Amino acid sequence: MKRVTCTGCSLLCDDIIIRTDGLFIDEVVGTCLKGKEHFDQITAKNRLLYPSVRKQDKLEKASWDEAYDKALDLIKAAKNPLLYGFSTSNCEAQLKGMKLAKELDGFVTSNAAICQGKVLEASKEKGLTLTSITEVINKADLIISWGANVAESIPRLLNKVLFSRGKFRMTGREIKTFVIIDPVQTASFGVMGVRDLALKIEPNKDIELIRLLKEECCKVGSLPPEGVAGIDSDDLKRLLLHLTGAEYGVILVGQGLLTPNKDFDLLKEFLELIDLIQSKQEKGRISLMLLGGHYNMAGFDHVSLANFGMNGSLQFKNKERVDSEDNLVSKIESENFDLSIFVGTDPISHLPYKLSKKILKHPIILIDNKRSATVEFADIVLPSSITGIENSGIAIRLDQVPIQLQKIINSPNNIPSDEEILANLLLKLHQDGEK
Amino acid sequence: MELYKYLPKTNCKKCGKPTCMAFALDLLQGKVKVDDCTPLLEPKYAKKYEALKELIGSEEGKEKELRINVDTDLCDGCGICVTVCPVNARYCPPTLSGKAPNYPPEKHQLFQVKMGKCELLNLEHCRRLDAEGRERECRVCETYCPREAIKIEYV
Repeated sequence: MKRVTCTGCSLLCDDIIIRTDGLFIDEVVGTCLKGKEHFDQITAKNRLLYPSVRKQDKLEKASWDEAYDKALDLIKAAKNPLLYGFSTSNCEAQLKGMKLAKELDGFVTSNAAICQGKVLEASKEKGLTLTSITEVINKADLIISWGANVAESIPRLLNKVLFSRGKFRMTGREIKTFVIIDPVQTASFGVMGVRDLALKIEPNKDIELIRLLKEECCKVGSLPPEGVAGIDSDDLKRLLLHLTGAEYGVILVGQGLLTPNKDFDLLKEFLELIDLIQSKQEKGRISLMLLGGHYNMAGFDHVSLANFGMNGSLQFKNKERVDSEDNLVSKIESENFDLSIFVGTDPISHLPYKLSKKILKHPIILIDNKRSATVEFADIVLPSSITGIENSGIAIRLDQVPIQLQKIINSPNNIPSDEEILANLLLKLHQDGEK
Repeated sequence: MELYKYLPKTNCKKCGKPTCMAFALDLLQGKVKVDDCTPLLEPKYAKKYEALKELIGSEEGKEKELRINVDTDLCDGCGICVTVCPVNARYCPPTLSGKAPNYPPEKHQLFQVKMGKCELLNLEHCRRLDAEGRERECRVCETYCPREAIKIEYV
């Protein structure tokens, strides 16, 4: 019996109990289905177990030395590499990735850049009130899920923030109000109680709701009687009452709020609305919680800010960080790279065809633990161990709290971790430079 | 009223109740048994006695067996049932703050999530069987399951 932290999603549940004999994991208690599948990944059929190198259009099994040598050849030939991924590796590996990018004068970015990283980016102007899960358990009385299907994407989150009973919220579910703003009738609507507010908004109309609420905050009585975006005015009034009257409100920011639009900046207006509500608040405040998917989604921004003084993507020139307007999409679209190194991600199937087509034009080095579409196109595949099960490290939870992960069992074939692979590449690069 | 039809309607007071109507009401609530009405056992009431037995018997069976069905195909192990269940919260304090309970499970624990699926451990301590008054009508696990995987039934 052992208590471990599950790295299945960004909630990083630290109350998982497993039964293990040191070689295999026999029983997992307390995880959701997602976490259980994550533990099953150790012995999964699609696990990568040995390094492989592409020879004449075919991936062939290779030794570690051969794979490292080939990778170094590719790296040394590259002038402007692109490093992407890092959301499913620990903070140490992320730092190693940044150092590698610095060494190679490359561009390094993470999955967060096209996900919750945007909120952190936008909040640099506005300021952001973050909160931790423990605070929410003990104090929160209003929980708003905006553009997210919480019950299914992060199954145990509702359990922790909504149903739990804390120090100042002893009655638990009864004292907490839950509001969902979502265009789709998802499974999350199933936990609704009598006092709760389910707002089924019309698709792509969030901006109208935000603008209307902002207007109402500045000038009381400007709500139209017919409502807006499929929400009637009574519900709007109740929503405003909840927002301004809450003692401790939390907004769970989902992917729905991050949808890009060329006409307006939804996120900026949303943060402005939070600002306005904050000034109108009678008792408490409203905080945000960013719902990421990968377990170390938030880590990259923290590591880059701590080490290079910049949130999100980093561009290096002459072994120094330079300011750059580039992001992942513009970088790929303008084909401003000649080698891509992916760590723990599958961009070929995640990114649109227009972009993934351009990635394929240049060599790919992939560091990952499972077989994915990118493996089929990669030139060099380096398998890595699963962080949180086969190697330790630090990861940052969705409420920006660092959590220490621990090693439970050894990896099959003694596969090294992401961090070790990147460190090896760096070391070999240095050794070659000295020669 | 239906039960009253099958009684002798003589108000003989042999059962200890003032009227047959009062006896029928108590019969409905399960406070007395059919056999407590001694005149009914006489041969001339045999038909009514059997009909009454059948009526009460079927209702009794309905009230008896509580079953909580957990559909493991629908369940995704979110553990909301573990947290909301008042019995769990009382005997396994970690579930108060949304954490998973201890393992091996406590004696009174009702729900646990194992291998990503919800498991019903024992039904004896469920509030529907083991509580008084309004607490007996507890249905929180069924109400708050987002996947509607939990069903409370009487079979």
